[in-house]
Amino acid sequence: MHETSSNAAAGTLLGTSRRRRRFWGRALQGAVPYGLILPVLVVIGVILGYPLYWLVKLSTQRYGLFELIRHQGVGVGLDNYSSVLHDGVFWRTLLRTVVFTAVNVTLTMVIGMLLALLLVRVSMFVRILLSSGLVLVWSMPVVVAVQVWYWMTNFENGVVNYVLSHLGIGDFYQHDWYATTFSQLSIVTLLIVWGALPFVVITLYAALAQVPPDLVEAAEVDGARGWRIFVDITLPILRPILLILTSLSIIWDFGVFTQPYLLIGQSKITSGNYLMSIYLFEEGYFKSDFGRGAAISILMLLMVAVLSVAYVRKMVRIGEAP
Amino acid sequence: MKRRSIVALSLVVVLVAAVMAATSSGATQKATASSITVWLQVDAQSGWPDLVAAANKQFQSDHPGVTVNVQYQTWGTHLQKFDTTLAGGGGPDVIEMGNTEMTKYMAAGAFAALNKSSFDNSSNWLKGLAASGAFGGKTYGVPYYAGSRVVTYRSDLYKAAGIKKLPATTAEYAADAKKLLAKNPKKGFSPVYIAGTDWYVAMGFVFDYGGGIAQQISGKWKGLLNSPKSIAGLTAYKNFYLATSRASKTTDETHPNPYDVYAQGQAASIVGPSWFTCCVGKQYTASTAQFVMPGHVKGQAMPGFLGGSDLAVPITSPNQALASDWIKDFTSTSGEKGLQAKGNIPNATNLLGSSVNERAAARSWFVPTAKHWVDVENGNILRNMLAQILTGKLSIQQAATSAGDNIASVLNQS
Amino acid sequence: MSKRRRGRRARQAGWNAVGLAISVVMVFPVFWMISTAFKPNEQIVSLNPTWLPLHPTLQHFRDAIDKPFFWTDVKNSLIVVCATVAISIVLAFLAAVALARYGFAGRKLFVVLVIGIQMLPQAGLIIPLYVVLARYHQTNALTGLTITYMTFVLPFCVWTLRGFLLGIPKELEEAAMVDGSTRLGVFIKILLPLMGPGLVATSVFAFITTWNEYIFAVVLLHDQSKQTVTVWLSYFLGSSRHTDWGALMAASTLTAVPVIVFFLMVQRRIAFGLTSGAVRG
Repeated sequence: MHETSSNAAAGTLLGTSRRRRRFWGRALQGAVPYGLILPVLVVIGVILGYPLYWLVKLSTQRYGLFELIRHQGVGVGLDNYSSVLHDGVFWRTLLRTVVFTAVNVTLTMVIGMLLALLLVRVSMFVRILLSSGLVLVWSMPVVVAVQVWYWMTNFENGVVNYVLSHLGIGDFYQHDWYATTFSQLSIVTLLIVWGALPFVVITLYAALAQVPPDLVEAAEVDGARGWRIFVDITLPILRPILLILTSLSIIWDFGVFTQPYLLIGQSKITSGNYLMSIYLFEEGYFKSDFGRGAAISILMLLMVAVLSVAYVRKMVRIGEAP
Repeated sequence: MKRRSIVALSLVVVLVAAVMAATSSGATQKATASSITVWLQVDAQSGWPDLVAAANKQFQSDHPGVTVNVQYQTWGTHLQKFDTTLAGGGGPDVIEMGNTEMTKYMAAGAFAALNKSSFDNSSNWLKGLAASGAFGGKTYGVPYYAGSRVVTYRSDLYKAAGIKKLPATTAEYAADAKKLLAKNPKKGFSPVYIAGTDWYVAMGFVFDYGGGIAQQISGKWKGLLNSPKSIAGLTAYKNFYLATSRASKTTDETHPNPYDVYAQGQAASIVGPSWFTCCVGKQYTASTAQFVMPGHVKGQAMPGFLGGSDLAVPITSPNQALASDWIKDFTSTSGEKGLQAKGNIPNATNLLGSSVNERAAARSWFVPTAKHWVDVENGNILRNMLAQILTGKLSIQQAATSAGDNIASVLNQS
Repeated sequence: MSKRRRGRRARQAGWNAVGLAISVVMVFPVFWMISTAFKPNEQIVSLNPTWLPLHPTLQHFRDAIDKPFFWTDVKNSLIVVCATVAISIVLAFLAAVALARYGFAGRKLFVVLVIGIQMLPQAGLIIPLYVVLARYHQTNALTGLTITYMTFVLPFCVWTLRGFLLGIPKELEEAAMVDGSTRLGVFIKILLPLMGPGLVATSVFAFITTWNEYIFAVVLLHDQSKQTVTVWLSYFLGSSRHTDWGALMAASTLTAVPVIVFFLMVQRRIAFGLTSGAVRG
């Protein structure tokens, strides 16, 4: 209301200090969001600016150990890209990684949601117990977790074989869990989902804490029951978080490296059980073919972008509020 | 006012961080003539730190005012770290490299040429080790130490099975294994525990029969695995393995470690480096001994893989002369004798003693000195071949031929 | 007790049983690690698994602590991680507020940038990042490592905090603004407290990720006196000789302690301690 009268008076001199203050006030108001994102942009720009440029440039060069030492690459245009895209191994690896990612993400999100809901329903003691357990899992360094899982599943004296045999599920004496690609990747999936659940469960539980209890009570008074409440009230409120977690899980699971590489073991890694990140590491960096590695990195970036675009779009639209 | 102060505050934080970053001097300064940096593997830190200290002391008395900064590395990441320092500086003046890692880096020009005669006993360097440090007629790597492969065995189990003398041929060894199996019918017990894809042991058989992995003929590499002699060796390995080892056919020699199987009481003997005796379990230490693995011809040992390390000076080092001096001090006769006392094989023939480890080194084999050999190893070509042979997926002829072709194409890359 | 209440009690008991079973299964590998840290060596390699070491030994813990640079590296890790988490949460919160509550030109671009960075395979960035940091003399320096970690942690924090912010209804802010506070005042007085759970979850994640990060730490830090505790841990596995499993497990148990302490300090904000009924799902 204030504003209109001063707008009307705007035709007169802009000289009065009050009007000047308001002008700068508005300009500063508009500058606020930029100021808020500036620190993040600066940090990212300073550190990643050059590496990103280097990565793109490198992908168009032949750059091996020889060139690395002399700090000078040889431009080869799109040769690196075409060599990768013509490699059958690349496409088979891509397919395998896509399936692997889909399985991992689905398991993580579904089990994660169920466990978060479970956390709500149990008594305080069990809740603290379960959440502490989750944090213990979360706090294990990945390298150590892989070692422990390897021990549990190892051929000679693994606990898993011992327990399965003793429970009478079958004879698992010296069962080699790493004999076939399917078996290898299944154990890796279990390991990854196990390690990913704590974050998902705790985040979802925190999000559930934002569900206004009065809304739920009102619905219960109206006669709605469990499943309906979940679908109609809880899920919509959780939607932003669910979309974030899913898109993050896709990004992480697509590029996961340490767990499969260490659990399967370098000596068993072959082109028949590559995942994309291992393919990148072996074909690019192990062989010191940095140009090719850069090309594969960029292709991986594009693949992940394509895979997660649906979720990311929804995420961006949700925020497109006022 | 509040929002402006918050924007200002965050800008200040960023500015301060940037200024700190730009002026911080926690730097990897260019190694000045007041200090040299040495990268040794963590094996030295836990195995013979006293020898490192002795070398430092000697070096410092020869070069007063220059300190030695030893930074221990792990095998898994030291090459990646080395690559980043080749690109961005801050690298070492001396670096320890595995002998199979050398050729790739020598071919790329990563090291400075060294004056061979300035190092102790260089005219008597073990042939296998010296070859790994030489390229194009120049010396780039100084042999540091080596290890061969021996048999570690349970003398009590041998006694109980009535085996009076140690085997002189692989055939006798296999016969002993039968007796051990009869006396120890436990599930999963191996008279000789050898991991299926342990190519270090398997290739010993190949070389024992006169075969080989690959050969360079007028500049081009040709696979040798499918030659009649190599096939004979692989057949001998397959038969020996199936008769004596209950290990997984597809797994390598670190999953599990043979000495762990031994410590569980599930193996009467294991084939591997001589330092295996460290970890055979308290209960078996007293009854553990070693012998040289016999070949198929009486009186000849099976060729053992001569694993080892070299010391090199990166071309990016600003202190190459000092670095070379440090290497001389570390691999001096007294230094090598110290390494020998810790169970390693010293780098020169005139220093060799008569321990089992050193006797086994009398007949040894090494990998082809090719720029791309590391890629063959990393690609697990030999391991896959062994797994295919042992599981019967492919015939020995087929597996060897495809592996041989594979190896040749990898080695022949530009 | 009314029938309804009895039914509820029974149902909760049922859920409790499920919760306990799941806790046991999930925590088993951690339990295995801790129990192995106390087992004498024969039990570690033995064919028959020993569930609970009846003759526990502290030797492995002693071996772990005696390994050179343990306390120094723990101190380094704490410095790097606390600095990274503290600064990142502040900066990310600001950026998340901008994304969630303001419309401005270039918004979409910023979002794409934030997501895009998380999609980058880190393996490809190691060498150029080292070269950049070397130029500013930030290799072999804790500040260099901190800034590197911030770069990778910030996008994730911005993205996640934005999600939490979007879950808070605008009516609350609008009510406060009618009462006369400025927009940013609203953010501090109203949003920040409500963001408690979200901030905690995000900071725990940032803490754990940076605490356990390995590859950049090993490549950027050369002096053993400057390394972090994950690099220190890798020395147990890095030798070509015998690995001391007992000491490794003891060392891993020790390195997990600060994470758990941090979580215990902040977990109250995620209302784990509230009796059920206050949170509905």
